[in-house]
Amino acid sequence: MKPDPRNGSVFHAFGKAQGQRATGNRLTRREWLVRSGGGLGGMALAAILADEGRADGTPHPAFIYTPKVKRVVQLFMAGAASHIDLFDYKPMLVKCHGQPSDFGEPVEAFQDGLGPWLKPIWEFRPYGNCGKPLSDVVAPLGDVVDRMAFIHNMVSSSGVHSTATLLQTTGFVLPGFPGAGCWVSYGLGSINNNLPTFVVLPDHRGYASNGVKNWDAGFLPSQYSGTVIQPLHDQPLADLHPHKIGAYANPLADKKVRETLAILNRKHRESRVGDQPLEARIESYELAARMQLAAPEAMTLADEPEHVLKLYGVQAGRTHWPNEINAEEEAHLFGLRCLTARRLLERGVRFVQVWSGNDNGFPRRNWDSHEDVERDHGPLARGMAVGAAGLIKDLEQRGMLEDTLVLWTTEFGRMPSSQGGKGRDHNPFVFTNWLCGGGIKGGVSYGESDDWGYKPLDRDRPTLVHDVHATVLKLLGIDHTRLTWRHNGIDRRLTDVHGHPIDAILSL
Amino acid sequence: MRFKRNPQTTERELRWYRRAALVLGALCWLASSASAQAQTEKLADEVRKLLSERCIECHGAETRESGLRLDTGRGIRQGGDFGPVVQPHDAQRSELIRRVATDNENELMPPGGPRLSNQEVAVLESWIQAGATWPESWDSEEEERDPRLEHWAWQALTASEIPPPVDWDASANIEPERNPIDHFVRAKLADQKLAPAPLADRRTLIRRLYFDLHGLPPTPEEISAFEKNSDPQAYENLVERLLASPRYGERWARHWLDVVHYGDTHGYDKDQPRPNAWPYRDYVIRAFNEDKPYVRFIEEQVAGDVLYPETRDGYEALGLIAAGPWDLIGHLEVPETKTDGKIARHLDRDDMVANVIGTFNSVTIHCASCHQHKFDPITQDDYYSLQANFAALERDELEYSTDPDVQRKLGELRQRLQVGQRKREQIEQQLKAAGGESLAEIDRQINATAGGAASAQGGYHSQIESQADLTKWVQIDLGQASELREIVLHPCYDDFNGIGAGFGFPVRYRVEVADDAEFRTGVTMVADHSQTVVANPGITPRTHQFSATARFVRVTATQLVPRSNDYIFALAEIEVLGKHGENLGLGKTVSALDSIEAPPRWTRGNVVDGKSPALASGDRSGLAQRRIELLEQLGLLSLDVELRQTISQLAEAENARRELQPLNKVYAATTQKRGGQSRAIHVLARGNVLAPLHEVGPGALALFDTLPSRFELSPGHAEGDRRVALARWLSDPRNPLTWRSVVNRVWQYHFGQGIVATPNDFGAMGSPPTNPELLDWLAIWFRDRGGSWKELHRMIVNSATYRQASHPREESLAIDADNRFMWRQTPRRLEAEAIRDSVLAVSGTLDLTMGGPGWQDFVVQRPEHSPHYEYQLANPEDRALWRRSVYRFIVRSQTQPLLTVLDCADPSMRVDRRNQSISALQALALLNNSFMLVQAREFADRVRREAGDELSAQVRRAYELALGRLPDDTERAALVELAEGHGLENVCRLLFNLNEFVWID
Repeated sequence: MKPDPRNGSVFHAFGKAQGQRATGNRLTRREWLVRSGGGLGGMALAAILADEGRADGTPHPAFIYTPKVKRVVQLFMAGAASHIDLFDYKPMLVKCHGQPSDFGEPVEAFQDGLGPWLKPIWEFRPYGNCGKPLSDVVAPLGDVVDRMAFIHNMVSSSGVHSTATLLQTTGFVLPGFPGAGCWVSYGLGSINNNLPTFVVLPDHRGYASNGVKNWDAGFLPSQYSGTVIQPLHDQPLADLHPHKIGAYANPLADKKVRETLAILNRKHRESRVGDQPLEARIESYELAARMQLAAPEAMTLADEPEHVLKLYGVQAGRTHWPNEINAEEEAHLFGLRCLTARRLLERGVRFVQVWSGNDNGFPRRNWDSHEDVERDHGPLARGMAVGAAGLIKDLEQRGMLEDTLVLWTTEFGRMPSSQGGKGRDHNPFVFTNWLCGGGIKGGVSYGESDDWGYKPLDRDRPTLVHDVHATVLKLLGIDHTRLTWRHNGIDRRLTDVHGHPIDAILSL
Repeated sequence: MRFKRNPQTTERELRWYRRAALVLGALCWLASSASAQAQTEKLADEVRKLLSERCIECHGAETRESGLRLDTGRGIRQGGDFGPVVQPHDAQRSELIRRVATDNENELMPPGGPRLSNQEVAVLESWIQAGATWPESWDSEEEERDPRLEHWAWQALTASEIPPPVDWDASANIEPERNPIDHFVRAKLADQKLAPAPLADRRTLIRRLYFDLHGLPPTPEEISAFEKNSDPQAYENLVERLLASPRYGERWARHWLDVVHYGDTHGYDKDQPRPNAWPYRDYVIRAFNEDKPYVRFIEEQVAGDVLYPETRDGYEALGLIAAGPWDLIGHLEVPETKTDGKIARHLDRDDMVANVIGTFNSVTIHCASCHQHKFDPITQDDYYSLQANFAALERDELEYSTDPDVQRKLGELRQRLQVGQRKREQIEQQLKAAGGESLAEIDRQINATAGGAASAQGGYHSQIESQADLTKWVQIDLGQASELREIVLHPCYDDFNGIGAGFGFPVRYRVEVADDAEFRTGVTMVADHSQTVVANPGITPRTHQFSATARFVRVTATQLVPRSNDYIFALAEIEVLGKHGENLGLGKTVSALDSIEAPPRWTRGNVVDGKSPALASGDRSGLAQRRIELLEQLGLLSLDVELRQTISQLAEAENARRELQPLNKVYAATTQKRGGQSRAIHVLARGNVLAPLHEVGPGALALFDTLPSRFELSPGHAEGDRRVALARWLSDPRNPLTWRSVVNRVWQYHFGQGIVATPNDFGAMGSPPTNPELLDWLAIWFRDRGGSWKELHRMIVNSATYRQASHPREESLAIDADNRFMWRQTPRRLEAEAIRDSVLAVSGTLDLTMGGPGWQDFVVQRPEHSPHYEYQLANPEDRALWRRSVYRFIVRSQTQPLLTVLDCADPSMRVDRRNQSISALQALALLNNSFMLVQAREFADRVRREAGDELSAQVRRAYELALGRLPDDTERAALVELAEGHGLENVCRLLFNLNEFVWID
């Protein structure tokens, strides 16, 4: 059973044949609840929730593989993180450092700056049993490198931040398509009964390019949209509690309002038996009440012991930081989000998206290092490495890593040449992603970039974001070609018309 | 360092040479043959044999892998899902050849089978080079016609007889048929063994009409008056009153704005505001309130500037084409010459095409940008022909005037400019034709000096500001006091935002020298241009002569120059000439108040590097002299003079236009930036901007037998002629989609679902109509009655079908749970805007001010780069925000939290139908959002004012204001109890959260 793909309305049944409607196909109350509350679950839903899979127990037709993971956390570096300074070691650049760059072909750079070859800003050293060289700036990830699988031949079809970011988050370069987390929510439903299915933890300094378009539901019903949680804000989750301007809405009044509301709504429904949305709406208020209790508990770090905080680089109680961007603060902030992510995953959130970096403005609090890689990437990458390594270790020690997938993404890479100074221009021609966790072969590097880190070594066989998305869905048990939703006459899917799961990095 | 040469290339090349020899041989043989036609046929026959042996197992009539069949001429010409496979006379660009000759095993055809021999490939190549002819006699006629053309939506409108009335069970209390709608609907109900519902009660009817036509609730007084009204025309009169109110246009404009994905910011990266998008929104509201005929409504929105240049509507309406998101970076920071720039512009036109054709014709066309449409008979050629209609357009602010006199003059001037522009082009073409290669060469050199080479030079570039009236300086330290006699400022050249020559050159500035690095004492003014505006000098250097001895030279911009929506100061070079004319500044230390420092292009030191566009351009005057001599020789001098006269007349008209006051601005489609020049539009293989195939002209869809799909325009036609042709094609009475589409959309907003359940897609993937006879009858009736929306509303809301009760009935639910056949009126949740507006109306705080810039319930932070639209920082008690929701300033990247959670339209998507989701986040927002809490408090204040001190009376008043009825005893008792314990505010808050408040019967 799945929602009517043609219009996104939750009121319509979906016939078996494509584009044909089954007449008289009336929804059961349970089916209705699945649709209306699919993103959040419902009380009635909770009772019938399987531990995994679709909430109504009927798997989505796309659910054909044995799932390896139940949850996904995506780490997104906004502004484009440099693969050659972090993960993709290029000795050739060290050798030719400072020589005029020659790409052997005309290169269209975003800002036209093609200075000399620029060697990696930091030294690389081998880590783990696999001996994978990592840059000093991400050294904390060395402890877990044997669990990680790198993809070094990612390519993007766009060198412009906004469209490239959309491509990585939604699989399309145009706004209006659902984020990967929305598709996962739609395909798998919830594994909790009091929290959202898909949570977004933005950089506290602001949203990246496209803002909410990176995670909202597009044409999917809005309950599949990412829910923003801002751990550092007054109201970490919008409208979770009455705004302070309405002092009259105190907790006691709240309780009474909800009780009376339920009585009056039930009375109204008596003469309209058969119109399920009315019942669903009543239940949505009950779920809201449960969420008011569950969400703060999920977001607090008060019960995390000191050694766990430390693992993530979080400095409890510290409020003062230097004015200039610095590694400790970045670790603290990114670590906070990673730790919150773990707590949410632990409580049954399916998909968490963690952002590093805001819009691409100045001063740089993002990865768009046109001017100075060391200045921006230094603190950001160290902060990211501390938080991400902490997250992986913590998931592992809790036994959660085996059914959680960690995906590290950015919109594109950076050029192996400088822009004349200390910065690097955009490189949509090749960049790096890595994955870690359930079903992932550890300590492997898949796909190679060329000697310069300029393009894939095998230019005919690059890896696309659609391949990564297909891999994520496969690990969740989903055939990416079958998870579709009809919108404006097209059966849309996360992977557009592309995508092949990257079996080489899977331990299937 | 160079890349290694691919070793495979050699082998590939060899194979190519061998084949080329064979092809050449075959072509010679063809040419020499006595009967070329017979030989062509023989070659085609050989191809047919080869294709049938090697290809049609997968690409035959039945299989059609990738949508490609190679067994008919039509199939071969049309190509597959990913575009044409044969480019006649151009084997090298033909996909068919590429796929049988490639070295990439993943792409090689036939897959798995042995590779075609060189001879076989050569046969295919020869056949393509010779034109790829395929004798018509080989294909049978039925195979030639695409069966997909038989789809219901493409067929001409058919007028059906109005069905006879149905006899219903008299006890069911069913209202008699009131107009033809009821006849059509009830005939279908009888077919389905369903029956209509009885007439709804009067309270339900008036609430339904108010929410439907106004998006606002009726007051208790209006309800009670209507309930008591014994006039048999009471209902009809109410309908008339509601249609005559300006609230109607506000309500229905919002529906239209959903479909055209209107927004007040660009979206994408940096999401900059569009401060002048709103005139389009106001145009739509006015158009509905004035009941603008639909044909005119279409014409104005597609080609209003051409068809109705003397009216404001002709300009404001063009906001439709520009309504969608726009990739600012892809346009302003990446030139069209780069791949990313090409992609951005391709996608931009794609959005224009989708918005126009999707809105008016309910077809989805996007897929045809990469391959032939899979499900509908829409080819890539159709798609790119549609793009060609928009090939001269940019999204930008368009100047017009709401003053009719000024607008008339503006229209005349635009006309003069258009005529002049065309004349200019004609003369230029004549000159080009007569001047031949030698003139072209000189012009090339002149052009190269103006832009090309010059653009490679950078310079100093200040930080980017959001306002112009700031002071910024850059200065040179010569190291020691020197005798100076001239300072030359060299402007920059940068294609950013199409600015080019004179990029960053300040509007006002002064040049000073001093011995004090701080310029506090002993300052000599070299030139003061801070009092008057300096025209853009292009790349020509500005020289300032003087005589003084000093160590420091400072250039101070006192008014910055616009870049896109921001302001800068930039200079390519500052030459400081000593007494012998030597440049003392070369390589000296440069400082500045600020600088963006983006080397190598932009860095302070570049102003003393001896490079500038002017210095790079060399001897332009010499070139100009040579050009004159050449023109004299060729007898073209008088033509050249005429050209210059035309250009100066154009400039005159341009100046006159600039002086017109007052001018308004609307964010719309404009041709200003490209001077009305259409770009050449090519079919793109797989939608790849780097793989252009043949060029296409303007046109539309080849779906109807009755309407030509390509526009026959004269060779010298103006850009606007294309859009006029498209507007005429769309509004043609013979275009069945236009008329079906609009009546279906209107029907949907009245009944919750369309006769076609997919209003944006009438294609094969959409839903078929539940009542095709009714759909066509309404479409014809609407078209032939002048395309009046208000007439259509009258017809619908006066029908018995519309006036039915909405209560669910078990036996009907079992047959048709979705109510597709209209056995009741469909109960609906109010849309986001209607909920918000109703809350304001009930609280007594609704401000009904119409039109103008949108209200902004956010605080903008960091507007200079990527504005942050911070909703939580807005003051929820700011009464200026309590206007109707249609006047909201709509941000794309940070959507309004309350309305978004209530499923308001996403301005990035063309929304034909709102979702009606239900979630805990909605419940939380309606209970806890600051807007809701403030309004509940205002509501309580209003109730106290109107009902006095007695709690029970207060509850009664609050209840009837919110729900349009009085509470019964249980309801009143429950609410009084709540009020006693927690105050009236909580009662009011509760009322906004009731199902009955948001759910309309």
